[in-house]
Amino acid sequence: MIVLTNIELTVLMSAVLAALMVGSVHLRVNLWLYGATTILIAIATGLTAYPNEEPSLLLIALLIAGLKSIAIPLFLAWTMDRIHVHRDLGALVAPPIAMHSSILLLGLSFLLTQGLPTPSGTGAGWYGASAGISLVLTGLLLMLTRRLAISQIIGFLVIENGIYVFALTQTRGMPLIIEMGILLDVLVGVMLAGLLTFKIQETFEHIDIAKLTDLKD
Amino acid sequence: MNLVAAISILPIVATITTLITRSAVTNRVLVPIFCSLQFASILCWSLPIFRGGSSTLSPMSDFSVTKLGVCFLLLTTFVVACSLTHAGTFFAAESRQNSSYRADQEQFFYASSTLCLLAMSFIFVCDNLGYLWISIEATTLCSASLVYYSRTKHALEATWKYLIVCSVGIAFALLGTVLIFAASQHGACNGGSLNIQVLLSHAELLQPNLLKLGYIFCLLGFGTKAGIFPLHSWLPDAHSEAPAPASAILSGALLNCALFAIYRIAGLMGLTHHCALSSTLPIYWGALTALAASLFLIHQSGIKRLWAYSSIENVGIMLVAIGLDSPLLFFLQALNHSLAKVGLFLLSGNIIQALGTKDLSQIRGVLTTSPTWGILLAVSAIAVTGSPPFGAFLSEWLILTKCTDSRHWLAALILLVAIALSFVAVCIHASRILLGPARTDSTSFRPLLASIVPAVLCVGVTASGLTTLPSFLQNLL
Repeated sequence: MIVLTNIELTVLMSAVLAALMVGSVHLRVNLWLYGATTILIAIATGLTAYPNEEPSLLLIALLIAGLKSIAIPLFLAWTMDRIHVHRDLGALVAPPIAMHSSILLLGLSFLLTQGLPTPSGTGAGWYGASAGISLVLTGLLLMLTRRLAISQIIGFLVIENGIYVFALTQTRGMPLIIEMGILLDVLVGVMLAGLLTFKIQETFEHIDIAKLTDLKD
Repeated sequence: MNLVAAISILPIVATITTLITRSAVTNRVLVPIFCSLQFASILCWSLPIFRGGSSTLSPMSDFSVTKLGVCFLLLTTFVVACSLTHAGTFFAAESRQNSSYRADQEQFFYASSTLCLLAMSFIFVCDNLGYLWISIEATTLCSASLVYYSRTKHALEATWKYLIVCSVGIAFALLGTVLIFAASQHGACNGGSLNIQVLLSHAELLQPNLLKLGYIFCLLGFGTKAGIFPLHSWLPDAHSEAPAPASAILSGALLNCALFAIYRIAGLMGLTHHCALSSTLPIYWGALTALAASLFLIHQSGIKRLWAYSSIENVGIMLVAIGLDSPLLFFLQALNHSLAKVGLFLLSGNIIQALGTKDLSQIRGVLTTSPTWGILLAVSAIAVTGSPPFGAFLSEWLILTKCTDSRHWLAALILLVAIALSFVAVCIHASRILLGPARTDSTSFRPLLASIVPAVLCVGVTASGLTTLPSFLQNLL
């Protein structure tokens, strides 16, 4: 019988929520779902802090909840309102098909991660790793199937969440200062990409990345 | 003095200065001075490392510098100093000719380039995979604004591509870093470590599967940033849309940074007896990159795209040197490529400003309109292809012989074909630029000030081939 720890359960739930994200072309729904997955990841971080006795993880959990799950979605929603874009009309693959393939990817990540050596003392085994890999693959699928700049940013954020979940469940905590550095880089990156989205809307009067094909050989 | 303070004070001061000074002319003078001071200060504190046997210098365990690191640090600072010195004349011409020129854009350019110098310097001194990743991502963020300088549609497209492709690529390097961290927790050291020295001393104890996976992800991730084929799609766009001084920094300094990160991780992998991954994979991948880039070189329409593909070719050659585990050849090739390529990008910027076009089919007869630029361009172009008597000839020859010595015949053959192809392609394109009927409106050629930095670089690249610099470096590294 499969017994999941609380941490594994939380991160797997966030992987499933991310799979739902692929199924909707409404950017606002995507942002809500992204916020929810990230809150779950913050909770998982808090839960990991207890068995590992690493209070620094609590701080990281708070930072993730505050910055990644609230501030970033709010910033992106503000950007969307400013440029009046709410739907990713031109998904390259029909959303239901994309969502089902992302569920397939969840299964695939189970197969991929079974061979990984079990980490000791993290409160999560390879189920946690499979949630991380599934998030990475889902983010990639989002980036591949969506056309709007905002969706690309969301896809990147999902990939980053996946890598974080992998680190959380497979290692005994990255050093605090490095975790903060990564968070800072991601925040600045999202801000820059958001500002560029403004400029793309201003200059091209759309934010459809698939139409930016002037530069080629 | 503390290593971190030693490399970060001057760039930070320079950034703050650029942000508070209102006059563009002050920036054009001050920033090159700050960069030269930074170069001099690095030279001062690194002399004991060169003289004595001590390879590290730092009280903090996560920051230390090796001899190779110092060499690259000096090269990077030199490239940035040259590019930003030339940027003064470049922006002066911009403000005269270009109606869309704005002083605040120039100010922002200087601020981000000094920040970029700071981020690049950290890559060579951090001894920790986590800090290495953070620094490399920081260079992407700082240099994105350099690419976006001209605010045109094409610049916007190139910046978006650069930011997204490199960020996603580097995200994979983060996954690789996490995997290597996980590998160190299976018996190697209690609690795991990201410190490269600790990892190197426990290389045998790292969990092999996780380490291999981590290495491959890091190679993919940092390889995206270095522009390895087929992950290079952002590189020609970014290099050709950025203003000339920024293209020079991207090509002459930033590519070396990403390759240096690959070198650090390949060094770790090399200690674990997975020869196929640490040596054969980079050698063949590098050779294929060089071949693909030289094929792309044949049909090029833009002058800066041409040099961008030539940079990819050189990245391939440097990757082969990394695979051969030869820090000397890696640095020699990087040095010769950077000097020649920075000169080429700066001269191309001059020509583009004078003629108002990037289109190779429009650029003709530079030798008659401006003999100074023509000769400098010819020298740099020949130097970058690796012909004698320039330095790149020696490094490419040594890489080829080392390749055959280690019985990688096929890789040596591919590399030879690539070098020959790129030589022919660059020579044909360069002769078309230099010869032919000149355009009539040659009044905008102002060769004197704008030739100083390229001329210095030409002297440098000739000196590295004709002097005893290589044997000096051999004794050093």
